[in-house]
Amino acid sequence: MSIMEYNGGAVVAMVGKNCVAIACDKRLGVQAMTISTEFPKTFQATPKTYIGLPGLATDVQTLSEKFRFKVNMYKLKEEREIEPRTLAHLVSSTLYERRFGPWFVEPVIAGLDKENRPFICSTDLIGCINFAKDFVVSGTTSNQLYGMCESLWEPDLEPEDLFETISQSLMNAVDRDCLSGWGAQVTVITPDQVITRTLKSRQD
Amino acid sequence: MSGLKPGEVNLGTSIMAVEFAHGVIIGADSRTTTGSYIANRVTDKLTEVHDTIYCCRSGSAADTQAVADIVHYYLQMYSVQNGKPTVPLAASLFQELCYQNKDGLSAGIIVGGWDKENGGSVWNVPLGGSLHRQPFAIGGSGSTYIYGYCDATYRDGMNQEECIEFVKNSLALAMSRDGSSGGVIRMAVITEKGVERIFVPGDKLPVHWQG
Repeated sequence: MSIMEYNGGAVVAMVGKNCVAIACDKRLGVQAMTISTEFPKTFQATPKTYIGLPGLATDVQTLSEKFRFKVNMYKLKEEREIEPRTLAHLVSSTLYERRFGPWFVEPVIAGLDKENRPFICSTDLIGCINFAKDFVVSGTTSNQLYGMCESLWEPDLEPEDLFETISQSLMNAVDRDCLSGWGAQVTVITPDQVITRTLKSRQD
Repeated sequence: MSGLKPGEVNLGTSIMAVEFAHGVIIGADSRTTTGSYIANRVTDKLTEVHDTIYCCRSGSAADTQAVADIVHYYLQMYSVQNGKPTVPLAASLFQELCYQNKDGLSAGIIVGGWDKENGGSVWNVPLGGSLHRQPFAIGGSGSTYIYGYCDATYRDGMNQEECIEFVKNSLALAMSRDGSSGGVIRMAVITEKGVERIFVPGDKLPVHWQG
């Protein structure tokens, strides 16, 4: 039994036309047993940037609070919001600091930079950044998500279409993973607004 | 008692059988897993071993398929020479195989069916190969989550519709909590008239409190 599969979870992010979307499941489990169906794994870092944190639940909670602290300190010192690319490097350094006793999370970052250009990336549990132009996946459902995203994603999707595409990718991927699912949350970030929707999904 | 071998496919599972006046209702979820991957999400875990005798399979998919096939063979041979087998006979065959091979098998089986002498009957053959006749039986990894619900809800003398609702609600609760159970609910009503299959798709599952 791998420690990364103890609690279960899935996160995916996609790039659209002048927008990004990030989505996660809502399950918290202890191996096969489902404890809660209200455990979303995406967190707001800035008004236009979100971090997804799948993996060991205790580290999900701890790191979401550590990043909240670091982002707030950045804002106080720099007197501006942190850019998504900079946040990615901040996440990477924070993880690599624990190279030989790592945090058991594999984060996903999605946001719009100050010129409202879309940005997504993911890192592994020790901070190696994967800059992608199309989509990034993470969690126990990553293999299924790769398959769904590779087939459903196309470039320059409008926000409404991106929402549909990322939702279908996530919902159908987690239906093939017994450690993820039990609800889903999708956040679409555009220059004007951020909309978070909760999806009705299979509860098994 | 052995667990699954590497690469072996697991019938995570929630299975159930209830006896009523005219026969039995048997039910199961439809999820088969390899590790955390759902290899089959529409599995049929209700397997015929004779015209009106079925078994619900949980544990290793390979082990339970092999055991059920062997019992099916023996009952075919028996019926040619001796006429219709009884449900306790079939259950006894399952017991013999599960007990004598207990070291190598990972199989939790519930036998349910109808015969002329006993009417409907339910026989639980858990991991060690013991045999228990019960008014209702639950099994599989998901059953642990519904012992309380079943004990609180079951009443003697329920009719066919009430038994179907009992099985449906119990399995839905188990499927909701157990990661190794899910998909659709398959049920079979076994009476003197034969076997009637009932299918409950994922979107028609009874929904209980979510939190």
